[in-house]
Formats: sequence, structure tokens, C-alpha cells
Amino acid sequence: MPDVTLTIDGVQVTVPAGTNIVDAARQAGIAIPVFCYHPRLKPVGMCRMCLVEVGTPKIDPATRQPVLDAHGQPVIAMMPKLQTACTTPVSPGMVVKTTTEQVKFAQRGILEFLLTSHPLDCPVCDKGGECPLQNLTMGWGPAVSRFDYNDKVHFEKPVKLGDLIYLDRERCILCGRCVRFQDEIADDPVLGFDNRGRNWMIISKSDPPFNSKFSGNTTDICPVGALTSSDFRFKARVWELQSKPVVCTLCPVGCNLTLDMRYDRLMRVMPRENAAVNDIWICDKGRYGHRFIETDRLTTPLVRRDGKLVPVSWDEALEVVADQLTIIRARHGGSALAGLAGPQLSNEDLYLFQKLLRELGSENIDTGIGGPAALPPDEIGGWLAPGPGTDLSKLGAGTVALVVGADPEEEAPLYLLRLRGIAQRGGKLIVAGLRPTKLDRSATKVVRYQPAGELAFVHGLLKAALEAGAKPAALDRVQGWNDLRRALGQTKLEDLAAACGLPVAELETLAKDFLAAEQSLIVYGWEARSAGPALAEALAALMLLSGRAGTANNGIIALLPGGNSRGAIEMGVRPDAGPGYAPRKQRGLDANGIWEAAQAGKVRAIWLAGVDPAAKLPAARAALAAAEFVVVQDLFLTASAELADVVLPAASVAEREGTYTNAERRVQRSRQACAPVGEARPDWQIIAAVAQTLAMVPIGGGRNGPIPVTSEAWEYVVAADVAAEIAAKAPGYAGITYAALAATGTGGNWGRQYDDAIYYDGTSYANSEGVGLVLPALTAKGAALTFTGAVTRFADDRPLLLLEQVLAYDGDRHLRGSKLQGLVPAGHVVISADDAAKLNIHSGDRVRLTSATGELVLPARVVADLPSGIILLPAGLADVEAAAIETGPRTRVSLAKVVMG
Amino acid sequence: MLKELVKGLGTTLRYMFKRPVTVQYPEVKRPVRERFRGRHELKRFANGQERCIGCALCAAACPADAILVIPAENDPANPRSPGERYAAVYEINMLRCIFCGYCEDACPTNAIVLEHQYELSFYDRRAAIYTKEMLLVPPDKGHGEPPPILQQLNRQPSPPAKIDL
Repeated sequence: MPDVTLTIDGVQVTVPAGTNIVDAARQAGIAIPVFCYHPRLKPVGMCRMCLVEVGTPKIDPATRQPVLDAHGQPVIAMMPKLQTACTTPVSPGMVVKTTTEQVKFAQRGILEFLLTSHPLDCPVCDKGGECPLQNLTMGWGPAVSRFDYNDKVHFEKPVKLGDLIYLDRERCILCGRCVRFQDEIADDPVLGFDNRGRNWMIISKSDPPFNSKFSGNTTDICPVGALTSSDFRFKARVWELQSKPVVCTLCPVGCNLTLDMRYDRLMRVMPRENAAVNDIWICDKGRYGHRFIETDRLTTPLVRRDGKLVPVSWDEALEVVADQLTIIRARHGGSALAGLAGPQLSNEDLYLFQKLLRELGSENIDTGIGGPAALPPDEIGGWLAPGPGTDLSKLGAGTVALVVGADPEEEAPLYLLRLRGIAQRGGKLIVAGLRPTKLDRSATKVVRYQPAGELAFVHGLLKAALEAGAKPAALDRVQGWNDLRRALGQTKLEDLAAACGLPVAELETLAKDFLAAEQSLIVYGWEARSAGPALAEALAALMLLSGRAGTANNGIIALLPGGNSRGAIEMGVRPDAGPGYAPRKQRGLDANGIWEAAQAGKVRAIWLAGVDPAAKLPAARAALAAAEFVVVQDLFLTASAELADVVLPAASVAEREGTYTNAERRVQRSRQACAPVGEARPDWQIIAAVAQTLAMVPIGGGRNGPIPVTSEAWEYVVAADVAAEIAAKAPGYAGITYAALAATGTGGNWGRQYDDAIYYDGTSYANSEGVGLVLPALTAKGAALTFTGAVTRFADDRPLLLLEQVLAYDGDRHLRGSKLQGLVPAGHVVISADDAAKLNIHSGDRVRLTSATGELVLPARVVADLPSGIILLPAGLADVEAAAIETGPRTRVSLAKVVMG
Repeated sequence: MLKELVKGLGTTLRYMFKRPVTVQYPEVKRPVRERFRGRHELKRFANGQERCIGCALCAAACPADAILVIPAENDPANPRSPGERYAAVYEINMLRCIFCGYCEDACPTNAIVLEHQYELSFYDRRAAIYTKEMLLVPPDKGHGEPPPILQQLNRQPSPPAKIDL
């Protein structure tokens, strides 16, 4: 867009056309006070605080040329009334005056008027200290009010807008920022205005009230203390808080957070600006779900003696672990050891975890807990992740984002905002899935294929792309591509279209759009992954056909469970490959293999780091009971820890440093916010300490050779030492050091720069830790990519397709102690209205699901918008034993109503 | 020589007949000035409610970082202070306090007042931390009066304290 030059208070400033006066003034370093205007929201001009004098050059009607005065300067025609700066776009030669008497009179008047119905209870208010109304009153307002205090409007306070947000109607100045955030950015239009005049107020229109996963952001952008967080209510004053930068580990987005600490206690969680990751927003899970760091924590190491876990010192516990591992390794070899790590651990933890087990001669390493629904590690999302320079917040027109089988709102909530943003800025957002999700509402095109038609859909796109002339040069080195190509060559596009239930023309248009786009992104989630690796492989082929894979803003984003799931795969916490996807000569056992081998007596020692398989899997419970020796390092005394021989207390994300790799392969650094609880230690320190103790065990390794762990190789003083080793040893991680991560900029122009605090106070925190580094693309070496063509098979042919449903608020143990506990639903199964009608099932009825392996009885929840033939099972909920019926990532089941009595 | 000696003894003799300036502390306690800044008290309203609303402005104003306030939410059925907030924990470390009176100045409800108690000595450092129970005046001594200096300044309590009065 052409630039426009205008004069604001005598300062000439050049800005892009279409900029409004408030933003233009900001660039000139001039603060125009605002309440309702917010740079991330559309201007509405409701509060009238930004009134300024505006004039434009006078145009001679006859010549259409500016009229010049005696000095040759254009004559400025000032508008007769003050204009709202936030809704007035700049024009060439415009003159803006922000400090004239007329403007000051208006500003004083607006503030005095706003304060007539404001209770001035700043000493009580949680916003006090970071309140734009306070700031603006100090800067622009009158010192005294002519309004009698007793005539002020009074409401009962506070009103619960939802479980998480309280509304104080007296304090509200009705700027509508919260309503607009929910409408425009979060796409949860659950807030609205009610009544009028002095009874005008904000209300929640949804049931349950304020039903949004982004509700906490409204408290940030509220310019007064009207919306406050129930989590931070009267906990502390904002000036007492110390802001510590951490990275959220609750989902693969890796949002930048600020933990606001008073001394060593967590008071609240706020977003930290990072335009490339979370902008200035976070979801409620990140904001409210960090109470686990101070709830039910383990404080000392525990060792089982006489059948009971008793507290011991670290030295004793480490000795027991080292002795037992040495003995078992000497008797049964390294392959009798196995380890599982959780996807919320940092790269440093995960790297050392696999390093130690592999040094001990075990390849039995995996992430997660296994179970029937477990899938092989997702490589596609790593090999074809968007390249360095990716910034989804800049994408708009010219971008095609294809979302296949994902529910971003539940799997990785912030991706909903970011994908929606692409569509809002003019990009194409194609949302394909078996069932409707919230992202559909933001989509430019919704594709609903038949149940189990997703593979045909993506193959159809591939076939159409090839027919449209896409050159598969990039795929030549991919193993298995020729098989896929041959299979595609043997089918007709019409057949594929029929198999997925879409018209041929639509597939052709979608493929053409995807190839013709300037940038193309593919996002897939659990629903797509559960169809088997073949679907992700077909999507990878499509991405490679575009010829842009691995460049900035082009690539595949896989939504995996857990905050550092990508890091776990890249650090080699998997049975088949080491750090950086380097294949291992010998393949170890995956989680399910470990459970079987443990019950068969082949695996004798199991090390669990940050996972709790016993809570979900009967097979794991049996295996842990059968194993000779079980070590658990975790935050809490979990069900698995109760079965362990040694329990080691680990430090939470707030108590340690670390780096985390998000779904886009962006490595970000998290800082320590407080001292560890009790004697807890960071996971990497625990692993290093075990290694050091192992190196000192005096007995030899018997016929299995001496223990190859040396004390020199395990000398890590700080987490940065481990990061340096990762940078040196893990392919792709070269250069990812703490120093390099710190030097990656401030993440945007928001923060608390110069005078911004005056009007955007309390909304976000400057990013001191850098925006993180996107790892360089791996696609240059595309040869290692292998297409297996594997699809999920079913044990038998029952009528209904059972899918696991990922929920943001599920039985995740990290939600303990948080206000989100009340939002976790009870165990249930979701049934479509069609299927329910056939079986005369109503919401709340108990139903029996029967599969080839078992049955499960749960209350039903009937929803109207689910296609018939599909059943959703929120497997993450604590009281859903999904393993009882699942035969794989997807299961065929039959359904019957349970009749009581 | 003799002359100076007599002069000196004369001065001694003269003072023997004057009233002594020595005060026999602790049997006798010297009255302090009205604006003397001694140990803090947390005042109450006439109805017995605590004046302190837990806003922590005193802690923010304190140059010695002697004050700790941890606020909490009032039970609406049985509020301890006017408004929604009260101080669940209120502690002053008397070893740190420099008795400057900034807390008094910062207090929006005239809750904290430096009174005339000056006998502050401790056997250990923990004992120097005065808790809310020690600072708060008994309910029957309903102190509604702001201290003299604030009366001179004609200071009014801030709105949260006004609402429920």
C-alpha cells in the first residue's frame, strides 16, 4: 500500500495508507489516550477518549488542486468538530492536533464522565497498578470530580461471568473490548451488552456461562478492573510481582508465558508477547492450568522398604537405583532395561534420558504410555515442518492452509486463533474432517468427507495435483513414493472422489488452489493420525508436490499430544531412532512392547520419567507389578509411582531451566521462576546424578561387560551444558545454544515500550527471552523420509467407528489444583443424533460399547452435528478406561442402550 | 585557683535546689509529643470492622520493606473490612521499620497509625515481627478518629471504606 505523510503535533510521520491516527501517532512517539481501541481489534470509537482535532488540505473545487496560502503552504481546513483518532484513517497532508485546549477539554470531560459511574475502589481492585483508567486519569483527567459520590451508579459486585472470570459492573466503562475479542479473535461470541443507559452492562450469553477457551485474555485487555480472573482474585498487588519467563508445556504450541511470582509463590500466569507463536494471547489451559506446580508435589525421594515407600536422602535413593540397574544389566543384559519419558519434559531431560539408556545398552525407549491407540512416532511433522522465518501472524492473502482431521481448539488452542487469523487476513483456510469442529466457523471452505474417507480425499488431492501437472521431483528420493504413485496411477479420480463423497471438481479446485498458493500450510491432528501413517504420508507427498516444503511459511504442522512431543521425537526418545531422526541399527521395544516384555519377564527394570501409564492402562499396571525394579521420577505420587520401587521428585517447569521444541520446530528457552519444592531436582539433573552414581558402582558388569557410563561424560553443571551437547551431537540442533536463543529479539512491538504502558498497561509483557529459533528444514535430505502406506486396521466389522476425542480439559494430571478442574466433564461418550434416535438413546442414558476386545458402559451425550456412524470417546478423562475396548487408534464398535433393572 | 573551686562548687550547690531533669524511667514515663511516631496500630471503624482493606499500599510506600500484606477475599456474609478485600496476613518487622510514617501517609483508609508506644525491644529477630493480631486494636476500642496530622490535612477515607459506612 502507498505510504501517506501527515503531520501530528508538528511532527511529520509517514505511515502506510489505511493506518488510523492513533497508530500513526504511536509511530511518531505521540500518545493519544484510548480505552476502547486496541490494535488487535477493529476500531469502534465507543469511548470517545481519542478525540483529536483533524484537518485536511483545502481543495479548490475548480482545479482539484490544494489551495496554497501566501507562503506557498497548503491551507488546512480543520474539521468543525473533534474526530475519534482510532476510527479516522490517515490521508495525505492531514494535520492532527492532540494537545490543543479543545482536545484537552474533551479528554477531561470524557474522563470525568467515565468516572461518574466508576466506584474508584482502586485500593481493592486487582487491576490497580496496571490500570489504563488510572493511568489516563493521572495523565489527562481532572483531579477532582464534581459528581457526588453517593449519586454514582451502584451494582452488586462481583458477578460471576463464568467459573474463571468475575465481572464488576460498577467498574466497567463499556468499551466492549471483551465483546469484540470474543467475536473477532476467539470466535466465541458469548459476551454481549444488555440493557441500556445507566443499566447498560456486559453479560454472558452462553450456557455454561462464558464458554470459551480464551476467556482469560479478556481480563488482560480490559482497560479497567471490570473483568478479573478468579485465579488471581485478591492474591497480590501487581507491583509486588516478579515476572519470570517460561514456556507452556501443556500443548504443542509452546506459548510464551510469564509466571508472576511473589517471592516463591505463583500468583498468576500472563502471556509474554511472541508474534511468531502466541502473539499476546494464551488459552485458559495455560493461564489457569499451572497450579500443579504447587499442588500435591513430591518433596523427597522415596524408596520401597518392607512394601512401603519411605522417604530417604537423594544419595540413598540414587544408590538403590544404580545398584539395581547394574545388577539387572549384569544378569540379563541391557535389553532388560526400558524407559518411558513424558512429552512435557524439556529437550535436555529427554536427550539425557535416551543417552543413559542407550549407554546401558537398551534401545527400549519410548515417549508416552502406549496402549491400543498408540501410534508410531510422527516423522512427517518434523521432516516437513515450516522452515526458518515462519510467522503465521503475517500470513494472509496468498496463503492456503489445509487442516485435515484436527480439532485445534482442543488439541492446541492457540492454533485456532492463528489459523483463524490467516483466514481473516484474506488467506484460504480449508478445514477437512470427519466431524464439525469450531475451526469450521472460521474456514473459507469446509470439507466433510465420508467416515473413513480421509485417505481417499488426500489421495484424490494428490491425484488431481499430479493430473494438474505438479512435478514430483522432490519425491523421487522418498522411499515408498513409487508404490504410492503406482497405486494412484491405477485408480481414477472419480473413484477416489466417490470414496470420500466429494465431487471431482471440488478435489481438482482444492488441489489447484493448494499448488497455486504463494504459501501453503498443512495442519493435521489426532483424527488424521488415527487413520494410520498413510494419511500423513499422503499429505507429505502433497506438500512436497508444491515444491515449497521446508521454506519459510510452508510446511506441515502435526498436532501431537504434550508440550514437547516434537522435542521428544527429535531427541531420540523412541525405539527406532536416536537424536535428530538418526536411525538405530537395532530397533528396541516401544511402550506396548515394553509392557508385554515385562509381563514375559524379558524387561526387568522400567524407568518412567514424567509418565503415568498405570492410571490408564491395565497392561501397564500388570507390567509394573511384574517388573523387578521400577523407578519413577515425577512431580506427583501418581498411580505408577505407587507401584514403583524408587520414586524421585522432579522439579516442575517453573523450577528449572530448559528448552522446548514446539509443533513448528521452534526451540524456545524457559527460565527458572522459583526454587524447587522440597528436595525436587530437574529431570536432567536426576538422570545425570544416576549416571554419576552408576559410574561409581564398584561391581563389574559380568558377562554383559562393564558399565560403559563414565563420570567424565556426565559432568553437567547447568542445563546450558546439556544444551551445548545437544547442539553438538543432535543433527539439526547445531547452533541452538542458550546464548543464541537469548539473542532472538523481543517478539514484537507491544510489550511495555516507551509510553505504551499508559494505555495498554496490563495486557502483555515484553519478551526478554527472545522469540526462539526455528530449526532449519530437514527436507534437503529428503531421502530418509519413508512412506510405509500403513493404515489403521480393524479387528472386526462392527457398525460404528469409535474415535478418541482429544479434550483440552481432560484428566491431564497437570490440571490438578486449578480452577479448570470444574470444567473437566465426567466420563461420557458422544453419539450422533441420528444413531441415538435409532436406538432411542437420550443424553444421560447409559450405553454399552462393545468391540472385539471388550466392552465399556458410559453415559451418552447426544449431539446434533456429529455425522452418523461416528462415536467420540474422550479417552483422556480419568474415568474412561478406553483401553478396555480399543483395538487400535480407531475401533469398530457396536452400541446398545443399557436398560436398568 | 581557690576562686575557681568555690565557683564550681557554687554551681553544684545551686543545682541541688533545682528540680531534676532526669526521669526515673521505667517507673516514670515521659509523655511524647502528639505527632510522635511510635509503634503502629491497625485501627477499626466505629462498627468494629477493620479499617485495613489489604491494599498493600503501605508495603509499597515503605522505604525499608518492613511490611508484608497478603490479602484475601472477604466473606460477604461476615466481612472483616468494608469492600471485598481484607488483609489475611499483616506483618511489620520492627527491626526494619524506620518509623518514617510513609505507611500512614499511603493508607487510603487511615487504618495504620503510628501511635505513641515506643518500648520495642526483643530477645530474638522473630519476635520483632509484629503480626496482625498484635497490631490490630481490640474491637471495643472502636477508633474512628484519624490521627491529628491527617485531621489537619482534612484527609477523607477512600471510596471502598466509604461504601459501607
